[in-house]
Amino acid sequence: MDEKPNKPVKITITLPTDAYFLSGIRDFTLNMTKNMTGFSEQWSYRFQSVVDELCNNAIEHGSAPGEEIILTFISKADYSFEVVVEDTGTGINKYTAEQMQELLKEREAVVGDRYMGLRGRGLPKIVAEWTDELIFEDRDGGGLKVHAKKYLRKEEDEVILAEDKKRDPTHINLTA
Amino acid sequence: MAEATITFEDVQVDGDKQVKLIKVAGQLDESNVDDEAKKIYKLIEDVGGNLSLIFDFSELEYMNSKSIGYLTDWYSKVSASGGKVAIAQAKSNIVDILQVVGLTQLINTFPSIEEAKVAVV
Repeated sequence: MDEKPNKPVKITITLPTDAYFLSGIRDFTLNMTKNMTGFSEQWSYRFQSVVDELCNNAIEHGSAPGEEIILTFISKADYSFEVVVEDTGTGINKYTAEQMQELLKEREAVVGDRYMGLRGRGLPKIVAEWTDELIFEDRDGGGLKVHAKKYLRKEEDEVILAEDKKRDPTHINLTA
Repeated sequence: MAEATITFEDVQVDGDKQVKLIKVAGQLDESNVDDEAKKIYKLIEDVGGNLSLIFDFSELEYMNSKSIGYLTDWYSKVSASGGKVAIAQAKSNIVDILQVVGLTQLINTFPSIEEAKVAVV
């Protein structure tokens, strides 16, 4: 990226391993990205989904009930937005960073546009598609740390906004 | 916890076909989607074949990947028994996520319930 980044804003939230709290995290993500990052509203909704999917994975696989997950937002205004989700590695179905990388490759190969499975879309079709960098890292002392980062490209957003303005802003009519 | 409600309505159509309008409101996420999904599985099971579904997403604010998985499964079940599925009045963020996972390749989305009705009848 050519532009010099501004000083980053870093916010860390620790959550109990319970999906009950995720609606509040989604609201926070949406408001933060809308107001502090320079990304468009469309990208704010996309980050909301990315954060939700990563937290769900950490709760379902990484941290046992009664444990916690750690969520860190790092925003460099008008430059990038990053979310880091950490689990404790105490979950029944925990994965290492290497296993996650393999799982992502497998899912990307299997989950196409006409995929009919009940599960498996979150990581390859939402998180990976809507971020520029997706890094899995093993934590010291156990657990997984997932970094998902998106760089702001104003030109890309302007194209999206221009397309949005051409059509009804709330509805898109698509045919198969 | 996220709030979500699912309500059903009969859509009047000519012939033997049964069309149900399923209105989904609020946020479908990990905290509620498994319970809410059961209502739609029960509807599909109770009606049996010859059923088409129109999902009214005008008041749906959020859906996660698991709820998209359920939507795909309902599409499979309804299609297998000769029915059709359509989505009406979805907000742009909902259409966006349906597009990124490829579901709009399977299920058409329409700006109005009337247009969705024409497509499933």
